[in-house]
Amino acid sequence: MAVAGILFRSDHMQKFTREAYENLLAASGPVNEANLFILLGKVQDTFGYIPRDVLRDLAVRCGVPDARIYGALTSYRDFKLGPEE
Amino acid sequence: MKLLTRRVGTYNPLDLNSYEKLGGMKGLRQAVEVGPEKTIERIKQSGLTGRGGAGFPTGAKWESAAKQKHRPKYFICNADEGELGTFKDKVLLDGDPWSILEAILIGAYVTGAEHAYIYIRGEYEDTFRLWEKIVSKAREAGLIGSNVLGSNFSVGLYVAKGRGLYIAGEEFALIASLETRRPMSSPKPPYPTEKGLFGKPTVINNVETLANVPVILEEGAERYRRLGTPDEPGTRLFSLSGDVKKPGVCELEIGSATLRELIGQFGEGTISGRQIKAVQPGGGTSALLGKDSLDCILATEAIKKAGSQIGTAGVIVYEEPQSAVEIVRKLLAYYSNESCGRCAPCRIGTVKMQEIVENISEGKGQEDDILRLREIANAAVKVSTCGLGQAFPLPVLSALELFPKDFESVVGKVRA
Repeated sequence: MAVAGILFRSDHMQKFTREAYENLLAASGPVNEANLFILLGKVQDTFGYIPRDVLRDLAVRCGVPDARIYGALTSYRDFKLGPEE
Repeated sequence: MKLLTRRVGTYNPLDLNSYEKLGGMKGLRQAVEVGPEKTIERIKQSGLTGRGGAGFPTGAKWESAAKQKHRPKYFICNADEGELGTFKDKVLLDGDPWSILEAILIGAYVTGAEHAYIYIRGEYEDTFRLWEKIVSKAREAGLIGSNVLGSNFSVGLYVAKGRGLYIAGEEFALIASLETRRPMSSPKPPYPTEKGLFGKPTVINNVETLANVPVILEEGAERYRRLGTPDEPGTRLFSLSGDVKKPGVCELEIGSATLRELIGQFGEGTISGRQIKAVQPGGGTSALLGKDSLDCILATEAIKKAGSQIGTAGVIVYEEPQSAVEIVRKLLAYYSNESCGRCAPCRIGTVKMQEIVENISEGKGQEDDILRLREIANAAVKVSTCGLGQAFPLPVLSALELFPKDFESVVGKVRA
């Protein structure tokens, strides 16, 4: 099922830095609840996982409880909360 | 018959001009010219019904959303094509993306939606990347943003990618997904047109449904209505897969061919030339049809009469001599993994039914297994809130009905 995701991760991964993350947000449309799911997807596709700091940061900026984001992310196969071993 | 696929693959998808040269964007211009009410009236006259599985009349859906007073409104194109054996939407999304974009804009315009989304299946990675480019081209061309084509209509379009969940294609689960909540179905009513994304009026249409919209506006509702059957005008894209020589997507006028013709002519028969054992005419959650039903016409009513559902028109063919137990086991293994967990008969039932069928296929079946399968299946059909829970038992129930001998050989006599 997640084959496409794996291919994507291997050929496009970037190392996570605060700067790279801010650049990604600047290029990815509004930082609000309506765009949050898409932003999380961009973070996943760029860095290969959603760093905890990003989860908290986006929660504050979008005004969404971070527990809710955690609950949502963990129901998908293609979101990871840590770097692949 | 080429109607929805008439432009597929005939132009460079990154070039809006070549699409317009082929007659594209006429529908949108016409809609902006005549206004929302008349456009909705035309869609209603055309008799267009949803192609995503449920078959709800599109015009009525749009009218209901257009009437809502709450703001903002949302318009979602459901491209999370997850049903087993269904791959028709990808053909349209890749081959003729601008007409889908045009239809999204028409839909957003006539229902008064300020924000539109397209939710693309995660496995369609290339399609997703193509659509990100297309949306930025459309923004440059002034088709997305404020005052589209000089009208007072403004719309934003987001491209979202699914993350590998079957259930996210169900409309309320899709809404929850975009809201960054756990993707789960909800009981209806209220329908999304009343309370959808972020509690606001929302229209959700399947890709193939939307592909019909520019066609209807270009050709006129009356000419469109002459195609297909009186209850179900137009054409449909059939995704043919399973044990056929030539799988693929085939556009047919509704009611113009039988299952046997589709499989024999387009699919060139079964892969090994053996007889057909069973067919699922509407994706993995539709009831099995035996070889006696092969002369059934490919239209919603006819398939229903034969005892199955046309659903997403994903035709899956199973040839002899595989056992119905095996067919059902594979389907249950998939659906038990994909249940969202909201309704107990689906959450627990998929797993229990899978266990029972696995036992049967390993030769460890017990006599009351069939009775238990039927009990759980019937409960799930009655109690579940969404299409997954209501429909995953159908192939199991139909297999018990059509091929009792396959089960009997392992568990003893199947009682009615």
